[in-house]
Amino acid sequence: MEELRKLAKELLENKTVAAVLGYVEIEPKRTKPIVITNPEDAEKLVFNEYCLNNLAVYLTKARIKNLAKQNGSVLKLGIVAKPCDIHAIIALIQESQLKREDVYIIGMNCGGVAKDFGLEYGADTLASKCVPCETHKPLYSDTTLGAEKETPKVSDEVLDKIRALEKMTYVERFAYFKKEFDKCIKCYACRAACPLCYCQRCITDKTIPRWIESSPHSRGNFSWNVVRAFHLSGRCIGCGECERACPMDIPLSLLNRRMTETAKEAFAYVSGRSLETPTLVGSFDVKDSDELFM
Amino acid sequence: MEEKIISKQNLVKLCADIIGGGHILIAPGKTEYVVTQDASQIVLDTQSKPTKASYKTFVFPKAEPVLYYKRGKNDVQILDAGPEQKKTVIIGAKPCDTNSFNILSKVFNWDYKDDFYNYRVKNFIVIGMMCEFSDRYCFCTSVGSSPVSEKGSDIFLIPLDADNFAVRIVTDKGKEFIDAYSKYLTDGNPSKSKEVSEKVKHPEVAFDSKQVHDWLAKNFEHPKWDGVGDMCLSCAQCAFVCPVCHCFDIVDEDYSYTEGRRMKNWDGCQFGHFTLHASGHNPRDIQGKRYRQRVNHKFKYYVDKFGEILCTGCGRCSRGCAVSIDIKEIVANCKD
Repeated sequence: MEELRKLAKELLENKTVAAVLGYVEIEPKRTKPIVITNPEDAEKLVFNEYCLNNLAVYLTKARIKNLAKQNGSVLKLGIVAKPCDIHAIIALIQESQLKREDVYIIGMNCGGVAKDFGLEYGADTLASKCVPCETHKPLYSDTTLGAEKETPKVSDEVLDKIRALEKMTYVERFAYFKKEFDKCIKCYACRAACPLCYCQRCITDKTIPRWIESSPHSRGNFSWNVVRAFHLSGRCIGCGECERACPMDIPLSLLNRRMTETAKEAFAYVSGRSLETPTLVGSFDVKDSDELFM
Repeated sequence: MEEKIISKQNLVKLCADIIGGGHILIAPGKTEYVVTQDASQIVLDTQSKPTKASYKTFVFPKAEPVLYYKRGKNDVQILDAGPEQKKTVIIGAKPCDTNSFNILSKVFNWDYKDDFYNYRVKNFIVIGMMCEFSDRYCFCTSVGSSPVSEKGSDIFLIPLDADNFAVRIVTDKGKEFIDAYSKYLTDGNPSKSKEVSEKVKHPEVAFDSKQVHDWLAKNFEHPKWDGVGDMCLSCAQCAFVCPVCHCFDIVDEDYSYTEGRRMKNWDGCQFGHFTLHASGHNPRDIQGKRYRQRVNHKFKYYVDKFGEILCTGCGRCSRGCAVSIDIKEIVANCKD
């Protein structure tokens, strides 16, 4: 923690970064995002198993980006990032939303985070995104901090649920998702919390013509949730923020993980892992197998 | 008003009778208020955490048709979409939820009387229950309510011991309703229930709503709004789980070239496009202005217009916020 605070303070003081996106503790086992521009505030920063947010979502926000512009020059934005958050940063760079040199990544070694604030961190309360995680050390960073850690070994409930869904008939699976999507209230917290839902104007907000019904009824909810899953296939880095943000507990990871598994099986591609690799859609080749398409 | 006692076994029977009588019965489920078919499954726990969303959807649905239309060759036929809802009973509602209809009724009966809302509220019985839950986000006591407030309840339950509830009959509507089930009730002992309710721990008062109102009147352009806005992600979780947020959007949905319906759907002031004009101009173009609107509407504009705070202090907006924005903390800091 001390090294994090020291580094953040130095980066702000020597004008390497204009701001640091990080976490502040609001009570034991509960943190919230903070953006720091004053070096004195660096002492507020923390990093622990309750740093649930993926702060990469802020990197594409206009007012946060504007912080980098100071007196005619453009500084970097510093960000405290878990290895999975860094996958999102890489994906944003892959998709030309961000330049590598515009961001200073303070990578944190990570042994997983808790499912929710206030829970005692352990195998039983490990966030589902951390179960299949293979990157406990940052793949890219400007500085890596913290001791290397392992994630407690627990069974992959999400994958088990995906497998169970696959055993269902098409009709049963449809009924399952209808029941789940019927809960949707279209608050779009999933979209807001997603680092890769950065569109200035989302397709659901387009009204001339209206592509996706805005009503939160079965049909409108299917349109929204399925379109979002499509738009994230081969792009989702699996940070699970959509599911965590959902006030109605819709298991969005079932859709997103399935899409990720599909991309992995068919194209040996996982989003946000390499700066040298083009995006999956960006690397389309006419010789690609079309088995995945109808 | 009157007070009765009901045993837990009889309460289950009463609930079974409500369901058996063809009414809709809503009770707190694991994370949401749910329509229940099995009275024995109802758990009434004063220490339970508030559900993630309020029960406003049962009187102000997240999506409802307000009319149907058919296009003919030379005319358009409009068909009514009257609200259809059987008598609905909610049991075990928290005091921070029960007051919501009193607050919502003001706006839904202001210049236009909303038949859909009024019809549902008229057919709604609220059985509230004392609350012993409190976390960092609760602030009912700061907005004129309390964990034992009967405001908005037709009937109010107080657990006397492991097996019995005191049944306080608060309104005439409640009396008329409960009289049909009088066989399950025995005479009450108000001094006992008073003793129980007086022992309930109240969340600390976090702010003086009058002072907040006056501060807001003078600080529309305060720089703090930008700071709050920068962390907010602009979703409508806070508005949609709120018991009293009531903005809606009207959209027409065509089934075909000739038929369709007009829908009334929840909308939220934190969405960037909420105030986007057709010209492209947006008076609330940054999130700070939108959050300022949220706080002002709740603690100033609604108070000025209707004499009520547009907030019940349930803390749901903060508890569910993906980036842990705490409205209590923000409002408590609305001072010089």
